Amino acid sequence: MLKLTSNNIYKNFGGLEVLKDVSFSVEGPELIGLIGPNGAGKTTLTNILDGALKPSSGTVYMNGERIDTRPPYGVARAGLGRTFQVTRAFRRMTVLENLLIPAMAMRATARQSDFEEKANEVLEFLTISHLRNEYARALSGGQQKLLELGRLLMLDPQMIILDEPFAGVHPRLMEVIYRYITETNAQGKAFIIISHDMDTIFTLSRRLLVLNYGDLIADGDPEVVREDPIVKAAYLGEDEE
Amino acid sequence: MNPTALYRVTATVALIILFLIPLASSELGGLGPLVLSSYFMHLAITAFFYAILASSWSLLAGYAGQFSFGHMAFMAIGGYTSGLIGKFIRFTTAPSELCTDLPLFGNWWLVILNIRRVGTIDESCLDMAKAETLPAGTLIVFPPVWASIAMGLVMGAVFGLLVGWLVLRLRSTYLALFTIGFSEILRAAISAEIPITEGQSGLELVPLFPGGIAGFGSTSKIPTYYAMLLLFIFAMALMTWLAGSRFGLFIRAIREDEEAAAALGVNIVRYKVLVFVITSTLAAAAGALQGHYIGIITPNTLIILQMSLVIAMAVIGGLENIYTASVGAIIITFVLELLRTSVSIGPIHIDMTLWRLVFFGILLMLTLRFQRNGLLFPILERISRGGVAAETVSIRAQEDEELDEAPDGMSEDEEVGEELEKRASGTDTSAS
Amino acid sequence: MENAAIFGWALLWILFWGALGGVVTPRIYARKDLEISQASFGGAVIGAALGPLSLGPLWIATPKITSRLIGIAIAIVVGIFIVAFALADPDNLCVANGGFVISQLANGIVIGVIYGLMALGLTLIFSILGVVSFAHGEFYMIGGMVTYFMTAEWIPGVSPIIAILASCIVTFAIGYVFERIFLRPMGSGEIERPTEYAILVTFGLAFFLQYFTQALTSAVPVKAQRFFPFPRLELPGDSGAFLRMTPGNVTIFDAISVPNPRFTAAVLALLMLAALLWFLYRTWVGKALRAVSQDRQAAAVTGINPDSMNTLAFSMGAMLAGLSGASLVQVFSWLPQVGIPAAARSFVIIVLGGMGSLPGAFLGGLIVGLVEAAGTGCIPDATRAAAYIPAYGMVILTLVLLLKPTGLFGREL
Repeated sequence: MLKLTSNNIYKNFGGLEVLKDVSFSVEGPELIGLIGPNGAGKTTLTNILDGALKPSSGTVYMNGERIDTRPPYGVARAGLGRTFQVTRAFRRMTVLENLLIPAMAMRATARQSDFEEKANEVLEFLTISHLRNEYARALSGGQQKLLELGRLLMLDPQMIILDEPFAGVHPRLMEVIYRYITETNAQGKAFIIISHDMDTIFTLSRRLLVLNYGDLIADGDPEVVREDPIVKAAYLGEDEE
Repeated sequence: MNPTALYRVTATVALIILFLIPLASSELGGLGPLVLSSYFMHLAITAFFYAILASSWSLLAGYAGQFSFGHMAFMAIGGYTSGLIGKFIRFTTAPSELCTDLPLFGNWWLVILNIRRVGTIDESCLDMAKAETLPAGTLIVFPPVWASIAMGLVMGAVFGLLVGWLVLRLRSTYLALFTIGFSEILRAAISAEIPITEGQSGLELVPLFPGGIAGFGSTSKIPTYYAMLLLFIFAMALMTWLAGSRFGLFIRAIREDEEAAAALGVNIVRYKVLVFVITSTLAAAAGALQGHYIGIITPNTLIILQMSLVIAMAVIGGLENIYTASVGAIIITFVLELLRTSVSIGPIHIDMTLWRLVFFGILLMLTLRFQRNGLLFPILERISRGGVAAETVSIRAQEDEELDEAPDGMSEDEEVGEELEKRASGTDTSAS
Repeated sequence: MENAAIFGWALLWILFWGALGGVVTPRIYARKDLEISQASFGGAVIGAALGPLSLGPLWIATPKITSRLIGIAIAIVVGIFIVAFALADPDNLCVANGGFVISQLANGIVIGVIYGLMALGLTLIFSILGVVSFAHGEFYMIGGMVTYFMTAEWIPGVSPIIAILASCIVTFAIGYVFERIFLRPMGSGEIERPTEYAILVTFGLAFFLQYFTQALTSAVPVKAQRFFPFPRLELPGDSGAFLRMTPGNVTIFDAISVPNPRFTAAVLALLMLAALLWFLYRTWVGKALRAVSQDRQAAAVTGINPDSMNTLAFSMGAMLAGLSGASLVQVFSWLPQVGIPAAARSFVIIVLGGMGSLPGAFLGGLIVGLVEAAGTGCIPDATRAAAYIPAYGMVILTLVLLLKPTGLFGREL
């Protein structure tokens, strides 16, 4: 059973406090939305959970092991996968190679052929199996996004953080991503989804975290959070103006 | 014929030809009407030398994206290590008393010769010992060439490890500058420490096969040809295996996007260091072999122009593939030599010895600008992808999707984060 | 050197405590949840300065590592270095002869000004295009070549000013053409992985220009006459003059002696520097350039065409290198390869000063000039010293890259 806890995370960049005392925990295959206005610290938080940044203070534990001191690849191996806000496919590698990398990285003695079948399944699921041998740079933006999601399936982590999975994506692909999230979640993987798309995030997530200038101002059921006056004032109110 | 089979056939044919070439050399009387001069054999050896350097640099820069300008420095480390061992190390059956003696097994001693001062003609300690302390009948043995070359490889690996570790945090331009710095420091040190390295006048190395081999004399080019050819084949085989394994997959992922690779569980530190170690060792091996073949090595092999020659060969051939890089190096070595003639067009007389490198420079820039993957790469691409251009399928896919747009740039959130992160450390720190 | 051991031990001492401070300090600061961006570099220099005496308090009190703290530490390190050297070799000219020291300093500053000018060109290019031009040394070489051939072979007797102008025009033009053909496409996204491309293509340009010049001029070293010989002068007239000039030299207080070519080159460099500052801060185009270097997109919105600013910056950078070459061709003998060490020196300077920082480049130039002067003047074994000269800068370069990649005036990248 997955358990991730972040305890009192602070992050300073020079004099700027980007995160202030952020604590929360994830237990089991939750489906969490993380929202907040621009500059709220959402991506910084992701980078800290992922190991790309070290917190100025505070700790992150996953299944009882401390992961904030680990490098990103250590965190990935511990079972936490993520996507990036800007799509980061390995552009000069084929779609298949893109998928093999996380699978190979997780198992030291494996061979590429061991994973090709699984890669095909993933591509099938994401509706891009016809692009199997194309270079990733030849894919459209949305397809590259799907490829990133596919890499996460190959990594097979316990928890997945998606940074703006719906931004700039064609409605048809959006359906695929939506299906990806719900089905993968049903298979027992926890999700944290960062998004600006309020409608989607409110219908999709079963728990909502709201960041505002580094403070975690709300954590709970989306319907409750929606009515929270602090959240309204800090964030939703602004949007409605 | 499917691409893999075609590659195998081509490679086998090429190998057979390369192995048979010495039969046509003038030393062996030529093969019918085909008589290859000793000069041709020399060129072939040099071509293999450059091919090893260019292809290993392509593994480093083209596959792993580490644009190092210090590759020739590792080459020189191999050559100088081997040469210095030949110059300073002897094995004897009795302690010399006058030199630094280290006991080995049995009654054998490893003797390190003293460093002679410049401008004086004082004898080496071993010569004096021969006259004074060494008992008559003491054997004095030179270190075997293969052993000193092996030490050259070890030093190449050690320095590769060191540099690879030091440059972990540095990217692109900074890495290029650092490796230029490393190369220049090494060159200055070699030029300055004349008592050890002989400085600009160059360190002499014993021939590769001092006593000759298999009936060939020590000046024959044929054994050296095979030695360099075998090293070339070994290097290509090793790199082919590496490029096709997880190693190749991971270093290319690191080239494309280090952070994304790390987020997918790739141990970027290990693979970045490893690629430096492997390519430097190969460069050192080539350097040691070439040093013993030429018989002398000078610090000028380290100058940036030598490095640019290797870079140009790899780039013109095709940087992102070890085969195009090595074939490019072989072709260019021969073409550059063939161009050593003067051309007269009407009244204009062009001394090609001077101008060939000018044209070469233009070719390099034009290749970069218009055929980024090298002049040989399109051929490879055509074969391996069956002539289907990479983009076609996706164009179809894009037509399907019509409106599907790439996400509209970074949002401010990430930009602020990234910028601040860089501000905090100066360079990207994700590797550390 | 008499007591080389003293010097060696001092050096080892500095290195040991520096390394220890550099490695341990960030850990301690991290454990106390303090800002660690400066901890590694700061710890290294503070450790190097006073060893355990300074590291102890640092680790216990963990004060905020400010630039002032680092500055003081660096001053102490340099001080220890100098004292150790003096103790080790009391008879060295650098220690025993004050006049020699001042002369060396003056010469170091004079040559440093010119180095600074050349590095300014490189840093200007970097600040606008984000590219380090590996062909910078070749523009320097061409500037010198054009000036030499104008004054000595093509139009003997022509004013050096005209020759220098010609070299400016030539280098500017080469820079312009190259930028338009090879670098302009980077902006439009036509070129993938622009950073790698820029490294390789400027490298290719260097290769081409060097062999092109060699093919045209052959490899015989040339050297221009001094441009503006001094008048003969002594002030005041009696012996023990305050100022004494001969056509080839100027002496102040009978102590500081600067050769004419270096002096005129430095004056030229200062004039150019003033012109450059005027251009950057007082003209519209200059302001536009600076705007682009600070925020490309914002500048584009206000109607500045960033592409043409790229071209201008690259051509101007090339011209500044050409100008330094033109003013130094009367100092050093000139070969097609002369640009390589000059370029290497410029790399050192801009990394030391902070990539993209104009004041950093100038200060870096002075520092490198001084270090080289000290290196040439003070190291006892002259041949060995000469061989090591290119390495001093490179040691600075590698150390800065490892310890503080943003340099002195780290304009963040």
